[in-house]
Amino acid sequence: MNASGGSPSDGRVSRRRYEREKTARREAEALLEAKSRELWEVNEQLTRQTANLEDAVRWRTEELQTAKALAETASAAKSGFLAMISHEIRTPLNGVLGMATVLAESDLPPDQQQMANVILQSGRVLLDLLNDVLDLSKIEAGKMEMERRPFDLAEWCRGVEALFAARAAEKHLIFAVTLETAPSGRVVSDPTRLQQVLANLVSNALKFTEEGGVHARVAAFGDRLYLTVDDSGPGVPEDKRDALFEAFVQTDTSITRKFGGTGLGLAISRQICRILGGDLTFAPRVPHGARFEAWVPLEIDRADRDTRAPSADPEQAARVLTDHPWRILVAEDSMTNQKVLRLLLRPYGLELEMVPNGAEAVERHCAAPFDLILMDVNMPQMDGLEAAGLIRASEQAHDLPRVPIIALTANAMTHQVADYLRQGIDAHVAKPVKRDVLVARMAHLLPSRPAAATGP
Amino acid sequence: MKGIVFTELLEMAEEAVGEEMVDEVLDALDLESGGAYSAVGNYPCSELVAIVSELSARTGIAGDDLQRQFGNWMHRRFTELYPQFFADKDNALKMLDAIESEVHVEVRKLYPDAELPRFETRWEGDDRLQMTYRSERPLVPFCHGLVQSCVDHFGETASINVAEATAHKAVFDVRLEK
Repeated sequence: MNASGGSPSDGRVSRRRYEREKTARREAEALLEAKSRELWEVNEQLTRQTANLEDAVRWRTEELQTAKALAETASAAKSGFLAMISHEIRTPLNGVLGMATVLAESDLPPDQQQMANVILQSGRVLLDLLNDVLDLSKIEAGKMEMERRPFDLAEWCRGVEALFAARAAEKHLIFAVTLETAPSGRVVSDPTRLQQVLANLVSNALKFTEEGGVHARVAAFGDRLYLTVDDSGPGVPEDKRDALFEAFVQTDTSITRKFGGTGLGLAISRQICRILGGDLTFAPRVPHGARFEAWVPLEIDRADRDTRAPSADPEQAARVLTDHPWRILVAEDSMTNQKVLRLLLRPYGLELEMVPNGAEAVERHCAAPFDLILMDVNMPQMDGLEAAGLIRASEQAHDLPRVPIIALTANAMTHQVADYLRQGIDAHVAKPVKRDVLVARMAHLLPSRPAAATGP
Repeated sequence: MKGIVFTELLEMAEEAVGEEMVDEVLDALDLESGGAYSAVGNYPCSELVAIVSELSARTGIAGDDLQRQFGNWMHRRFTELYPQFFADKDNALKMLDAIESEVHVEVRKLYPDAELPRFETRWEGDDRLQMTYRSERPLVPFCHGLVQSCVDHFGETASINVAEATAHKAVFDVRLEK
């Protein structure tokens, strides 16, 4: 065997060498145990830290969730309170507006006439404010409901134009609502909410424009319906553009004093567009002026049917009412509202009977059927829906003709209205009652010719 | 099985029968490890059993006796290597009672994969402990040696009864005598 270096030539190691190796092995073993132990300690520490961190995260998350729940509860309570208050305000406002309408029409000396008009105008502004606040609280509470029904876009445009034609003429502004590209059928969306959007944009444009004009364009393009409003007004200062669509923010508080308005209109309009699946944006115009462009998804109703009543011409509606001394039953628990309805309907020579609750309405109608019933929904003893149900049941049982029933509601939600229509109600008029609307609905539902036998 | 059991067994054997004999034993066996053990390694228990029976055959000492002696040896080594376990105990029974709850806990910190025997204890008064030993390995006599040495270590005398002894289980009834 070849020996190398200083090791013994037979290949055996010396005892000293063997002992050194053995000692080294033991040292290595002891070292490894010590290191293992250290590693274990560090590992334990890490595990504890991780657990602590996880605890902290869990705790924080719980805290945040509690805070979020609290905030949401508070916000929901606030929205509920707003909805309730606006409902409560609506009822007396119905009295104010109704009486002011009738008062303004009565034979008054000119100065008093003017006073009555101011009351009426102020009442309407108050109602607009109320509607805005209510809309916003609904949007914030996630309770803004949209309707979906087919409507004729051209007719809809004419409606918006008619709303603002007089105001534009007063300011000597050029104003038009143009349907640029008409869709191939009726459009399915929420015409009322869309009108609210376009009306808000046009109203703003007219408010701020002193010279030139306002042009609203409606176009079905691709899979979108565009509503564009251009004006030749002063435009929106650059530093105010970001806040345009924020609720409760007007670009300048002096605007509220000078032009009125709640500052909620654009916020609400944008939210409506977004709920409908679109958006509302602003673009400046050169050299001055503003452009607001709203869009919503375009859906075309291919079915060739007309489920909605054509908007009645007010004069024609009035003629239907005066044609005949119709027997009208009014179920309404508020004496003020009874008085308002009586005065609003006075010009038409109708035979009005007033009852304060649903039970009496059923009783009276079954004793001697009326031509039409105006039914308040919320009444003591028996509410309007239950009364309507009983009347429908009795009609079926005795094979009697169906009497038209119009529900009078304060602050009805879209899904509630749909419910009413299923429960024997034929139409609904929101409070405060506007005479034009009420008369149009009544005229639409009354038989074109008086029934052969009327009156008791 | 932990390498320390092998290194200590060979130490003991070297001391008892000399290095030559130990080399012969290891050379005679076909061991996967080749007979090279580190205290911190892990080795098959079958190698331990093979070494013990080969030693027994060459020395004429019965396998069980060898195991018991080895138990004595291991205990002495434990007191040298890990005195901290013994420091706060004032008698053998308390030490035996702490094997599962203290010693094995520490062992697992160093060797999470260690396959340890289980020691269940039941006190029968202050001076009597019943300890049930269970193991995958047939090492009851080794355990007996450990228990005996533990009693000796504390300078006590005790009667140690082994009952229900099988290859893998035994109940040690340890009663201190005053």
